[in-house]
Amino acid sequence: MMAPAAATRAPLLSVRGLTKDFRMGGLFSRDRHRALNAVDVDIPHGRIVALVGESGSGKSTLARCLARLEQPSSGQVLLDGEDVLRTQKRGASRAYRSTVQMVFQDPFGSLNPVHRVEHFLRRALLVHGRPAGEDELRELITTVGLTEDMLESYPHELSGGQRQRVAIARALAVDPRLVLADEPTSMLDVSVRIGILNLMRRLRDEHGISLLYITHDLASARYVADTTQVLFAGELVEGGDSLALMDRPAHPYTQLLLSAVPDPERTEGYDPVLRAGLRAAVLTPESCPYEDEGTCSRTEPVRHTVGEDDGQPHWVRCHLYAPATPTARRVLTAATPEVENV
Amino acid sequence: MTVPSHRTASPHRPVPSREPVLDVRNLRVEYGGDGRSVVGADNVSFTIGAGEIFGLAGESGCGKSTVANAVMRLLKPPAQITAGSILFDGRDVLAMDPRELRAFRWREIAMVFQSAMNSLNPVLTIGEQIGDIFTTHERMRKRRARARSGELLELVGIDPARLKAYPHQLSGGMRQRVVIAMAVALKPTLLIMDEPTTALDVVVQQEIMAQIGDLQRELGFSVLFITHDISLMVELSHRMGVMYGGRLVELAAAKELFAQPLHPYTQALMNAFPPLTGPRVELTGLADTPRTEHGCGFHAHCPDDRSDCSTNIPDLREVAAGRFVARTGGGAR
Ligand SMILES: Nc1ncnc2c1ncn2[C@@H]1O[C@H](COP(=O)(O)OP(=O)(O)O)[C@@H](O)[C@H]1O
Ligand SMILES: Nc1ncnc2c1ncn2[C@@H]1O[C@H](COP(=O)(O)OP(=O)(O)O)[C@@H](O)[C@H]1O
Ligand code: SF4
Ligand code: SF4
Ligand SMILES: [Mg+2]
Ligand SMILES: [Mg+2]
Repeated sequence: MMAPAAATRAPLLSVRGLTKDFRMGGLFSRDRHRALNAVDVDIPHGRIVALVGESGSGKSTLARCLARLEQPSSGQVLLDGEDVLRTQKRGASRAYRSTVQMVFQDPFGSLNPVHRVEHFLRRALLVHGRPAGEDELRELITTVGLTEDMLESYPHELSGGQRQRVAIARALAVDPRLVLADEPTSMLDVSVRIGILNLMRRLRDEHGISLLYITHDLASARYVADTTQVLFAGELVEGGDSLALMDRPAHPYTQLLLSAVPDPERTEGYDPVLRAGLRAAVLTPESCPYEDEGTCSRTEPVRHTVGEDDGQPHWVRCHLYAPATPTARRVLTAATPEVENV
Repeated sequence: MTVPSHRTASPHRPVPSREPVLDVRNLRVEYGGDGRSVVGADNVSFTIGAGEIFGLAGESGCGKSTVANAVMRLLKPPAQITAGSILFDGRDVLAMDPRELRAFRWREIAMVFQSAMNSLNPVLTIGEQIGDIFTTHERMRKRRARARSGELLELVGIDPARLKAYPHQLSGGMRQRVVIAMAVALKPTLLIMDEPTTALDVVVQQEIMAQIGDLQRELGFSVLFITHDISLMVELSHRMGVMYGGRLVELAAAKELFAQPLHPYTQALMNAFPPLTGPRVELTGLADTPRTEHGCGFHAHCPDDRSDCSTNIPDLREVAAGRFVARTGGGAR
């Protein structure tokens, strides 16, 4: 299941302290909405990293920042160690854009209906200065599990799943090393979702491509991703090997997310009302049922390691897991931190 | 340090009475027009008892909405009910005239449509839209209607102060709860929910399902619950049916069906959902190929060699008490 040990190499992409504020109101408004706060994440070579969280948690914003469709407010994005937000200040270089490709949720919106499949793939190849002959097209279309004759098809002649495969083929045209897949299956019918997930696994195993798989479907993250990161209100709260994380979720929010997944294996009944109540409670430190004597409302938790699986540390950002010494805690200041513009 | 267990002794699953509220028999719906006709549902039969939650599962295009719309008598040309009967509380739904239908819809059967949360009128407040139901159907005075609307919002866990809000000021989950509140406003006997949570993420979905469980306990209505998510359905429903290509291919108590799916399509559909526990094994899911128009399109992928059913999906046969499966040959697998 796992790609050959690649974890010891430096990661392909590292994100450090990534913060994104959106300006609320007019152009000169000082109101800010912090969509991402100090996100640290590594995407290793040839691995699938899942980013899970409910809608509005900032998943797409992170993907868009990594695709350089959005300018982060502060932080670093290191590709092979190069801090691209500094070295490519005015926007991503062509090399970056061909290394990091994005696949969107909606396979309808991203394909112009007047062109045949062949056109999308040929154009993607040419834009990045690559040969676009019959052989290249054939290889691309078969890599994503479609047949050669579909090159002649128009988007409306394809099913949703087939269209999403075309969108993936287009992303692959530039020979990327990282594919950012933002909820690639959520608009597809259940019957074809597994096919897309299996394709992602194949891209990793046979082509060594790294993927950031964004989803709110935990079971699918567990199915494809080597590691899973949990995003809650713009902050990563837990991360680790996918199987371990879902077997032993540490953060109250991850536990809650998992308990919300319908599970027919549950032999006893459960009370969804109680569970929904728990959700409301976990949302703020003041009401988190696990917070002790107000620590959580006064200080911001830091990462604590709770285990290690397959060389992957399983970490959680929650005071519950703090070692006995108080040194690891950072006192929250009343003032909002300076926003650095890069 | 772990989340306290919220598993309690099965609170919202009282054993329903077997008295059918809804009785659908041999229903066939065709979408006609210019010579070509597509069969949306064929030979579909099931019953729903008082207080029972009945689920209808299957991938998109299998005919779930067609069945729901037929029961509500909402099918419009080119759709046509070409065979079968629908009885509601013993009354023939297909024979109702427009006046009877007006009294029947929303009062006796209400429906929450697929993506209904986007169907709220954007220029009217929530209060105006809920109030409308009471002023038109119950001829209630405005003030009284407003009070009732507030109570209704509270019932689905929304602050009555939000009556003044416009739809865009509410989250998707809240809008969906408003729509559910509107559907149960007139205390229907049967609530039809067509993929009520498909567009919502799992935590919000959980809340909505909690709300529905709550309401169902409180008001005691029956539910026809439609989704493609088998896990969700098994968790919520008493009994369920699986549809494929317009036909019911399996019908059983939800837990039994989940524990031992008998029809190859049900097995394939269940295999399309990765589990949250156990070892990571590769799933095949369902084939990503357009279905053939005639016969059982699943035939080519059917794991069993079943040449006997290559031309059509067989009718349901009872293979054990309360367990029905579409197959021709002997009962044993
Ligand atoms: N262009 C934008 N302007 C202002 N706010 C935005 C913008 N894009 C996203 N947001 C806000 O940032 C938060 C995170 O959004 P998003 O990244 O889309 O979340 P997700 O993909 O997890 O659903 C949300 O509160 C959203 O409203
Ligand atoms: N208005 C319509 N005109 C023609 N065919 C239709 C119409 N509505 C549905 N159908 C067809 O009927 C079948 C069942 O559709 P539907 O009941 O909407 O399925 P589901 O709700 O399970 O996704 C599909 O093959 C669909 O193409
Ligand atoms: S840090 Fe405190 S408030 Fe936050 S999840 Fe942990 S216990 Fe709850
Ligand atoms: S091929 Fe036959 S057994 Fe298989 S799903 Fe179709 S009708 Fe059923
Ligand atoms: Mg998003
Ligand atoms: Mg439908």
